[in-house]
Amino acid sequence: MPAIPPGVADAPRAPFVTLSALWLVLTGTLCNLRCTHCLNASGPDEPWLAPLDGAVARRALTEAEALGVREVYFTGGEPFLHREILPLLETSLAMAATTVLTNGTVMTDALAGALAALAGASRYSLEIRVSLDAAEAEANDRVRGRGTWERALRTLRTLDARGLLPIVTATEIADGAGAYDRFRALLRGLGIAKPRVKILPVFPVGRAAGAPGVRLTDADLEGFDRTTLQCAETRVVAADGVYACPILAGLPGARLSDGALAAALGPAALYHEACATCHRTGATCRNA
Amino acid sequence: MSSHRGDVPERVSEHRRIAVLGGVYSNAEALAAVLADTRRRDAEAVFCLGDLGGFGAHPDRVFPLLREHDVRVVRGNYDEAVAAGAADCNCGYTDPRDNHYARLSYAYTVAHTSATNRAWLATLPGHRRARLGPHRVFMCHGSPRRINEFLWESTTPDGLLRRLLADHAADVLLCTHTGLKWRRALDGGAAHAVNVGAVGRPENDGTPDVWYALLTGGPELEVEFVSVAYDHEAAARALEAEGLPREFAETLRTGWWTTCLENLPARERARGRF
Ligand SMILES: [Fe+2]
Repeated sequence: MPAIPPGVADAPRAPFVTLSALWLVLTGTLCNLRCTHCLNASGPDEPWLAPLDGAVARRALTEAEALGVREVYFTGGEPFLHREILPLLETSLAMAATTVLTNGTVMTDALAGALAALAGASRYSLEIRVSLDAAEAEANDRVRGRGTWERALRTLRTLDARGLLPIVTATEIADGAGAYDRFRALLRGLGIAKPRVKILPVFPVGRAAGAPGVRLTDADLEGFDRTTLQCAETRVVAADGVYACPILAGLPGARLSDGALAAALGPAALYHEACATCHRTGATCRNA
Repeated sequence: MSSHRGDVPERVSEHRRIAVLGGVYSNAEALAAVLADTRRRDAEAVFCLGDLGGFGAHPDRVFPLLREHDVRVVRGNYDEAVAAGAADCNCGYTDPRDNHYARLSYAYTVAHTSATNRAWLATLPGHRRARLGPHRVFMCHGSPRRINEFLWESTTPDGLLRRLLADHAADVLLCTHTGLKWRRALDGGAAHAVNVGAVGRPENDGTPDVWYALLTGGPELEVEFVSVAYDHEAAARALEAEGLPREFAETLRTGWWTTCLENLPARERARGRF
């Protein structure tokens, strides 16, 4: 097990309140793209964080249901590259609303049809979040790779045609003020009648990590309600353990347990620069 | 959090039939029609699960109606914000368009709620308990654990409901905050969850009518949703007369939500027009 980085032991802590969101890092850092700002430096090479075994994912879902979880998120990497994603989605949708975060470049019409069937058979919502980084091709492809804009747009149309109401998820990397309006206009231009947009800050982690930056101290958090932090209600299951934050999954300093969810329900260290971004912006990786 | 677990024993009122409504949103016209309807249906007590302000044109006209009908009110996130003079309504929007409408509505509500009524809002309890026959009922605004948690039908798992009921020693959970009604029986009818919807805004179904819930005790709990037609045209004209967004008036007239759609999950969003 890699050494715990300095600063974790004396970092401020976020309390654990309840398990509201369960995240599964389904493909680890395996992805067909290599975006310049990727939070966990995913890519097509040998992943530094391994994909999740289907049995481990199912055990986590069962444990989370017993804990009264509210919603489930599938992420990676690119989760649609996981061999068992459809049966796992079926299991998850039988117990809770489930969201898949995809780059939108591996969708097929058959896959969209299968997703629509799963959504139709569940009493809970299936959400598909498709990542883009700009509302025009060139700026997007500079970040996400050539041709990704065109492919993601095709996916958005395919999902919308199936009634799946995809949510475009973007970072503030290439757009800025007015980004919501620009993405909404883009989606309307595609004929999407119910455009849905979520915008997240860029976090200084993975490929977007810079030089060591500002970290939180207990003094910074005085008078701040730590239970409002996402990590007070979130646990993330990855191949090598359980974490409090989807952005920090796989990092030794953020690991709370080697396996069982039940062993990871204690306070979480707010040791990373990304914790400062989360505190400053009030961001949540959840849909709303 | 578990603010109800103090040392003071809670008052639990006992009833045969209650009417429960939520989300008044300053729509005095709708509230008056709903309260009149509850009388006709033999409800022993009327409960309101909060959010008296926001959206509508007549914040201060809501309070005398609640008093006249002896309505027992639970505090909503909007009430909490208005009472505290908070900077915003704590609705949690991130889309600037939704934030624009939310801020406008909130500023209007604060400006048109008297100091006396604001002080009264500050006295409202965060939850109430009642007994309907054998059923232990827990009433709250968003969820028992957080005043502004959205319990949508398609994002509220059975497992979560069971946990919330167990944590709060109840068999029946009543909430609002989303503006969309739904109900679910759990474990063969041993437990229930009911989101009573809203009376201040139609429920995104293309009709201007609004909804409340009627619950009757007995060995089996009876839950009935009641739709009420009211003079929505008058309410819409009042919005326009006050210079409030025309999108709000459009919602009252058409029954379709036009703003603040960002928190709707896929299933609920698919049912609406926008
Ligand atoms: Fe509310």
